[in-house]
Amino acid sequence: MKKIFFISLIIVSQLLLAQTIEVDSYVDKNKIGISDLLKFTLEISGEDVGNISTPGLPEIKNFENLGSSTSSSSSYSFVNGKMNSKVTKSYKYTLRPLNTGNYLIPPITIKLKQQTFTTDPVHITVIKGSTHPAPPTSPNFSRQSNASVDLSDNLFMITDISKTSAYEGEPLIVEYKLYSRYDIANLAFAGDTNFEGFWKEDIFLPESISFKRETYKGVMYNKMLMRSVALFPTKSGNIKIPSLELNVDVRTQSQSFFDFGTTKKYNIKSEPKTVIIHSIPQNNRPATFSNAVGNFNISSKISQTQMKVGDSFTYTIIINGTGNLKQFDLPTVKAVNNLRFLDPEISTSINNNKISGKKTIKYLIIAQEKGNYTLPSESFSYFDTSSNTYKTLKTKPYNLNVGEGDLTYVASSGAQSIVNKEGSDIGFIITDSLLVSKKVYFNTFRYWFIWVIVLLFIPISVLYSKERSKLAGNIDYTRQKKANRILKKYMKEASKFASNDDQRFYAAAQLGLSSYLADKLKEPRGSSSDDILTELASKKFPVELIEQIKKLFETCDQARFMPGGFSQEKIELDFQHVKETINDIMKCKF
Amino acid sequence: MKKIMLLTLFWTICISIFAVSQTGLTFREAIESYNNKDYHNALTKFSMIENEGIINADLYYNIGNCYFRINEVGRAILYFKKALKVRSDHKAARRNLEYAFTFTKDKQESENENVIRSFWLKAFDSISINLLAIITLLIFIIIIMLICLMIIHYRNREKTVPIFLTTIFIFLFTAFLIISILKWQEFHKTDEAVLLSTSAIGYSGPSEDFTRVFTIHEGMVLTIERIEGDWSLIKLENGLGGWIISDTYIKIEL
Repeated sequence: MKKIFFISLIIVSQLLLAQTIEVDSYVDKNKIGISDLLKFTLEISGEDVGNISTPGLPEIKNFENLGSSTSSSSSYSFVNGKMNSKVTKSYKYTLRPLNTGNYLIPPITIKLKQQTFTTDPVHITVIKGSTHPAPPTSPNFSRQSNASVDLSDNLFMITDISKTSAYEGEPLIVEYKLYSRYDIANLAFAGDTNFEGFWKEDIFLPESISFKRETYKGVMYNKMLMRSVALFPTKSGNIKIPSLELNVDVRTQSQSFFDFGTTKKYNIKSEPKTVIIHSIPQNNRPATFSNAVGNFNISSKISQTQMKVGDSFTYTIIINGTGNLKQFDLPTVKAVNNLRFLDPEISTSINNNKISGKKTIKYLIIAQEKGNYTLPSESFSYFDTSSNTYKTLKTKPYNLNVGEGDLTYVASSGAQSIVNKEGSDIGFIITDSLLVSKKVYFNTFRYWFIWVIVLLFIPISVLYSKERSKLAGNIDYTRQKKANRILKKYMKEASKFASNDDQRFYAAAQLGLSSYLADKLKEPRGSSSDDILTELASKKFPVELIEQIKKLFETCDQARFMPGGFSQEKIELDFQHVKETINDIMKCKF
Repeated sequence: MKKIMLLTLFWTICISIFAVSQTGLTFREAIESYNNKDYHNALTKFSMIENEGIINADLYYNIGNCYFRINEVGRAILYFKKALKVRSDHKAARRNLEYAFTFTKDKQESENENVIRSFWLKAFDSISINLLAIITLLIFIIIIMLICLMIIHYRNREKTVPIFLTTIFIFLFTAFLIISILKWQEFHKTDEAVLLSTSAIGYSGPSEDFTRVFTIHEGMVLTIERIEGDWSLIKLENGLGGWIISDTYIKIEL
């Protein structure tokens, strides 16, 4: 039903547009001298206004109507391949003021094709004497020298603010409009405009010079919107809205055929204005307040409420309205056990007017366990600027039913996050200490005792080294020390031969014994048996032992060199003999 | 005679084992109390063990934890400091000390802006004094072995390699000896203390008539420079010095 109404509204409005007739009235100057004449123009424009007769002007108090003139102009435009023609008829009345003072040209009512049009009233101030003649109201250009014209009346800029007082965060719309009755050749912004104390969003910045005709305070001007911004106050107090500065090049009219005209530079500034910004009240501030200021609505939707384990669904919360949409965060959804919330997708879309739009937070949720769950109601608080109170909006809770799924295990999807620290505390106590009392090794006797022992190795090694050098320096001493080793070697050989009944036994035994004795007696190696025996005698060896050794040598000589001296039966006995002799020798001192 | 000696030895061992098991029992009871969140009881039991004359970093650490749980941050810091004095490489104690510092009113332990200094302090703290003792001894043994080797073989061996090695080890030995001495000094240092009263005012002289210099709060670590009567001249980590009443702090002593 609503839709049908809306569509029909559009059709009707378009029909009306096609037959639109506009009526406007304006004067050439608001301020005139008593001796000047006032030009009052009534303009009727539309598609089909050609056959309208000159409307009669009602009697205007304190002014004398001196007569009228009519002019008309046509313009054609092609829109979507369709030609539109527009005819403008201007009725110019010349009025002569009768008295000085402030007067009002009353609204004029015109009836055209069963429609009634009413013009705006126009204020006129009549002063004594004469003012400068005004430039013509024609949008084209002035027929007079600009130098003689009062600038402020014909070229100025005004600051339009949507509100004069607002709350912190509540958006304001500021429009800078340029009004001119001159032919403007060029326009440029002079310097930057800093909006201190506001968060600024640009709505409009002109790309080319384009003027529109508009009556301002009853006078027709060429108007151009220079800049439009949405401002979001960030602090409270009386905050200045800065002025906009423009450099304007005005084309002057050529005076003669050879004069092509020049341009004259003007610098104009809009008036700075002040707005009162209130801070948001502290009391009654809800805990869920998230700095949102304006007018908002909340809505939520869920893609499904019946699902299986492992299924995913989306849960969306939307906030739309007017206010500081960019400056607050949406409520984050409370976690629900066994529902896995992936990182939400948050988006903010702002309309062209910069102050309205919507914020959307979209969760992808995976059901992980069978059961019935409730997505709790989420609340969003904002400061409502129309009622100047805090308001809290709530989404509705959703009941979910999760049934048995095909998947028993839900793999963790790509949205893994780094483990966050959630709190801090001191570490836990130590429970398995051996409670060994601390001993500083540096303070114990044992430790230093080890040092002393280690240090003792130096004198030991010095002594050892000395011993070695003694050995190296004294050959006889070495021989004496080594004699036992040599004897052992020979005896080992001898015993081997003996067990094999080998004749070589005697050679080994004799050689071993003689070299052992020679070494011990410090006699040269290879000394004869006789020499050894004499030496032994001189060392006061027991005579029986010498005899024994002598006999042994002789036995060995016999076995080795005399033919038939070697017999295998005797060898065992002789080996025994040798052993006994050596044992005896060992007992003696050299 | 031998019998009597053996008997005495047996009894000594028996008594010591009993003592150890008694201590272990108390320790376990204390841990149970702590687990049941009865921190006061746990503290009493741990303190009983401490009073037996046991010097142990883990014990001090546990006592510090108990104090922290009963909101006595000053004493907690004192015991964490004690634990670190016994074993400077006690990581848990260091962590808890740093955490406890965040609860003091005064900011402490300023981060060392000097990289080399902080690195040195970290390395210095991560080696315990006994480990240093062992390392120093080992290096000493190696040096002695090298010297002995050179003495024994000095006649018939090329000596450049052992001399080179010995020089290196002597350098190492000197370094470790210096570190050991520093460590030993730190271990036996008794001028560090922790403020236990809620706050203390530092004056420019040992009386309240002097100018107020600063106010410090519970848990502040300070260095004692001089003691005169009831007053102590202390120095703070940031270089500020002043006189405070001696009752307000307790020294970090084993």
